[in-house]
Amino acid sequence: MKRRFLLVVSLVMVFALAVPLFAQSYDPMSFKSKKPMSQWKIALVPKDATNAWFVRMEVGVKQFAKDTGINAFQKGPAKTDAAMQAQVIEDLIAQGVDAICVVPVDPAALEPVLGLALSRGIVVIDHEGASQQNCLYDIEAFSNQGLGQTIMVELAKMMGEKGVYTTMVGNVTNASHNEWADAGVAYAKAHYPNMTLLAAEPRVEIMDNLDTAYERAKELFKKYPNLKGIFGTSSLSSPGVARAIEELGLKGKAFVTSVGLPNENKVYLKDGTLQSVLLWDPRDAGYAQLAMAVKILKGEKIENGCNLTAPGWTSMQFAPGSTKVLQGKGWITITKDNVDSFGF
Amino acid sequence: MISLRRITKRSEPYVLAAIILLSLLIQVRSGQFFSGNNLVDLARSLIVPALFSVGCMMVIVSGGIDVSFPAIASLAMYVTDKLLLASNYSGNVILAYAISAGLGLLMGALNGFLIGFLRLPTLVVTLGTSSLYTGLMFGAFSASASDVPPSIAKHGKEILFTATNPTMGLTSNMPSQILILIAVLILAFFLLRYTMLGRGIYAIGGDETAAERAGFNVRGIKMFLYCFVGVLAGITGIARISMMSYADPSTMLGMEMTVIAAVVLGGTRVTGGMGTLTGTILGVALMTILSNSLILIGIPTYWTRVFTGAVIIIGTGVTAHQTISTRRRRAQSQKAAA
Amino acid sequence: MAASVLRVEGITKSFGGVQALKGVNFDIAPGEIHCLAGENGSGKSTLIKVVSGVYEPDAGKIEINGQQFSHLTPKEAIGLGIQVIYQDFSVFPNLTVMENLALNNELMDKRKLMSYKRARAIAGNAVSQIEFDVDLDERVENLSVADRQLIAICRALLQEAKLIIMDEPTSALTKKEVKALFAVIKRLQARGLPILFVSHKLDEVFEISERYTILRSGENVARGNTKELDRKTFVFHMTGRQFEDEFYRPSAAKREPILSVRELSLQGAYSDISFDLSPGEILGVTGLLGSGRTELVETLFGISQPDAGKIFIRGKEVRIKSVKSAIRKGIGYVPSDRLTEGLFLPQSVERNLAITALDRLSDHFGFLRRSAIADMTRKWIGELSIAAKSPALPVWALSGGNQQKVVLARWLANDLSILMLNGPTMGVDIGSKYDIHVLMRELAARGLAIIIVSDDLPEVLACASRILVMRDGAFVQELDPSATTESKLSELSTGIA
Repeated sequence: MKRRFLLVVSLVMVFALAVPLFAQSYDPMSFKSKKPMSQWKIALVPKDATNAWFVRMEVGVKQFAKDTGINAFQKGPAKTDAAMQAQVIEDLIAQGVDAICVVPVDPAALEPVLGLALSRGIVVIDHEGASQQNCLYDIEAFSNQGLGQTIMVELAKMMGEKGVYTTMVGNVTNASHNEWADAGVAYAKAHYPNMTLLAAEPRVEIMDNLDTAYERAKELFKKYPNLKGIFGTSSLSSPGVARAIEELGLKGKAFVTSVGLPNENKVYLKDGTLQSVLLWDPRDAGYAQLAMAVKILKGEKIENGCNLTAPGWTSMQFAPGSTKVLQGKGWITITKDNVDSFGF
Repeated sequence: MISLRRITKRSEPYVLAAIILLSLLIQVRSGQFFSGNNLVDLARSLIVPALFSVGCMMVIVSGGIDVSFPAIASLAMYVTDKLLLASNYSGNVILAYAISAGLGLLMGALNGFLIGFLRLPTLVVTLGTSSLYTGLMFGAFSASASDVPPSIAKHGKEILFTATNPTMGLTSNMPSQILILIAVLILAFFLLRYTMLGRGIYAIGGDETAAERAGFNVRGIKMFLYCFVGVLAGITGIARISMMSYADPSTMLGMEMTVIAAVVLGGTRVTGGMGTLTGTILGVALMTILSNSLILIGIPTYWTRVFTGAVIIIGTGVTAHQTISTRRRRAQSQKAAA
Repeated sequence: MAASVLRVEGITKSFGGVQALKGVNFDIAPGEIHCLAGENGSGKSTLIKVVSGVYEPDAGKIEINGQQFSHLTPKEAIGLGIQVIYQDFSVFPNLTVMENLALNNELMDKRKLMSYKRARAIAGNAVSQIEFDVDLDERVENLSVADRQLIAICRALLQEAKLIIMDEPTSALTKKEVKALFAVIKRLQARGLPILFVSHKLDEVFEISERYTILRSGENVARGNTKELDRKTFVFHMTGRQFEDEFYRPSAAKREPILSVRELSLQGAYSDISFDLSPGEILGVTGLLGSGRTELVETLFGISQPDAGKIFIRGKEVRIKSVKSAIRKGIGYVPSDRLTEGLFLPQSVERNLAITALDRLSDHFGFLRRSAIADMTRKWIGELSIAAKSPALPVWALSGGNQQKVVLARWLANDLSILMLNGPTMGVDIGSKYDIHVLMRELAARGLAIIIVSDDLPEVLACASRILVMRDGAFVQELDPSATTESKLSELSTGIA
């Protein structure tokens, strides 16, 4: 067992150096399966089989198997570990699966083993791994543009489409957070003439820390009494800012929303400090990944607007400049009414 | 006259002056500094770094350095949190503190053993154990952000009083965890000043060989010291997660740098032997005020790092300059005497 | 001698085949100041450690106040009242005088809590015993070396010392501080406390002790009353060699000065300094610490820039802007206590010699020319008659004096015409000191111009062909060494008749 693990690790290391140089490009159309659908075996490999997020994803996998009758299943490492994930994929290749859907721990570390899968004619679909070379497609729940706009729509709703707001990012160097915020600000400018961005502090950094989010929010509300909304990005901003709003006695006067996990925000959603947070449902992401694999096994051509039959994943668009990365509109709004239904 | 000379040689007055100047600047720019709720907010932000700084200062005084306390605090609080959640414990929060302090003790004892008995260099040992403890937390326990058990959540809602800003109506709560800080400060003050153990810590930092010759149990003192830091870290971990009702294993990691900087800023000599609680708390206060007031002054938050860096460089620079000029003066006066 | 405080008989001790002590006997009578003398490596330190219980002797007896022991533990030694004051004093620089004095007692009493009231009483009592005037609340690091030593002495007294052993107590003290220390030692003696004074300095032995024991290579070669001892015998016992009385006369032929200094001044250090230096001369510059003597030679070596005045080399005015420019002009400077430092002890003589001249010893491509190195090494081994069996020998295998020659050769290899030495024999034992003096005279005789800065008056008298006395940054007088005395020099440099 141990020796085999070492072997895998060393193989991964050797290939990690070699493969990117020889990353082959495959024609997705050539992956059309000759077997009847009933004999297909499709596996979804999450980062960590025990994590609540991926337990929820498995709900979607099971649903898909039930809906289509295809032998689809989820199999992942016992903990978030790139080497263990590679080993799981190796086992799946040996078992002769027809398609592998993977949420990579570390895309680079998986290149060799996924390259091997492709060379054996196995369909490889990534999720949240846009930098992956050795895959046919990577599907994302949302585009940065789309998510940023949606956060703004939510915030505007809370603020009654008027008042001063600012944006909050996990870290100034976090590219996606900044893209969301930029998109949100641009959207507000175009659609909400009565909303103004706080000029003195247009983007606040919370150093990826909940306590910092709380402290910065307190400072902001003290310094700028007319500040009414905070456009959050990092999942730490909603609970942190909500705590500050509650403590300062600003409940109902100041608002925040961001990406957020149900459990972390449950208390504040229920007591009304928060109205909603945004999320993409891992159940739908799981369902969509499998649908994507099936499309390729069927030999369908993938084009803008393709439908992966999960809510929000019905009209996928290629990311600008890419022929590999597809983006959906797979976010959902979590409110006090549905917060208990996710299990994480 | 002599006592005045002694006071100007210390760095506490300079840090205090810096704090006063900064406060006035914030007050002028925002009109908010001296409001009750802002002071309460600052006190709240001070609790965790101040708790860490007490142990950190003692280690530096002994001539060592400890960078593992955030890792100890994180692992201790995380394991405690998970244990209590798994056992559905809903009793008193004292148990949480006790478990976390116990775990901290064990982890600190490993540092103490390696440093006191095997005589390994403190920086290497604590860098190593720091990596070991975070590795255990994220590897073996695959830690991720977690809820807190009801006892800790309830403790987090315990407040001493609420300060209201009269002009804006904003309110801030003074968390009960500040009592822990006060208790730790009193204990540490007594320990450092009135026990032979405490004087031994200073003696070791002054000259370890001399301390051994004088009859101090150097190994024992070091063992105690690192165990004490471990216990303190365990307690700090619970204080931190209770104040947020949220157990994020990575929230304290990386704090060692700002805490060490604050301790040095407060006049603790990096080479050991010198350091006071007053100076340390002033150092922490300066750093806390600074990082929690840039928005109030009207500076974008991007500049936090620049300002923190500048204060560390200027602060430690002033301390170093003082040391050098004292030495020079002494050399000159000796010459004059000869 | 009816009763001895301490008597050792036939003590032997060896470390892995090296015999450090070969049957040493000595004894100390009550209330006596006894000097234990010997060169470095003679076994003094080993003997102290045997007496204080750090080492267990291989054979021999230790008798303390009539009690016999084959060996002691450190605790027993302290219990019997044997207190060693180490060269580093074992004080806590960061703590106050009060704590430094009181902590040991508190520890002995196994106290858990610290009482500052009790500490102040203990400390106050201790300093008053030797009439030591010091602020109990001052931190020890702010005190002078001498005061730190007194603290160590006070602390020893607090431990109910019955014998105080001082290990090379004067090595870091100025002349004035040594005087003060001796006064304290006499005061202790007056209270009936015997002192074992460990030293290799001849003047001190004569000044302070009543009896002496001299160790050489682990044997006690001489014991007796100091009164009956003369310098020559002392030096002979220390080194096992006979030395001739030394004086240096430059060749009579008058030569053009190589270095001339005119009205040189540096604010706060020295002012209006003028002198000439010719090849073949050894100029002795003496004065107290702070008289400006060190700053003067540092200016000539380009370390500091004068505010006023002129420097001429071979009659041409020059500005010495940096150390580099000083070296380029043929000036070399060996700072105090650096004569023995700066050698790579495990490396060969050849490599040690080559290291400062690598530029000249390498070809255009930067590769070292082996033959040039060998030639240079051979030349200097011959010129300075360095007693090395082979240039490949590591430097540590050479005697102290020969090691010094290697350091000097290194400087001379750089086409030196002026060599300045600051305290050239500070902390060096008598044998090596003699060797260095001989070497300097040889170098001067061959045409080098040398400046020696030293407050070791016998040394200045022995080596210099001319002496300049400095006081408060100015030259007080120029003297001919053959026509002056130590006391005259001392008078001039202190200004006290």
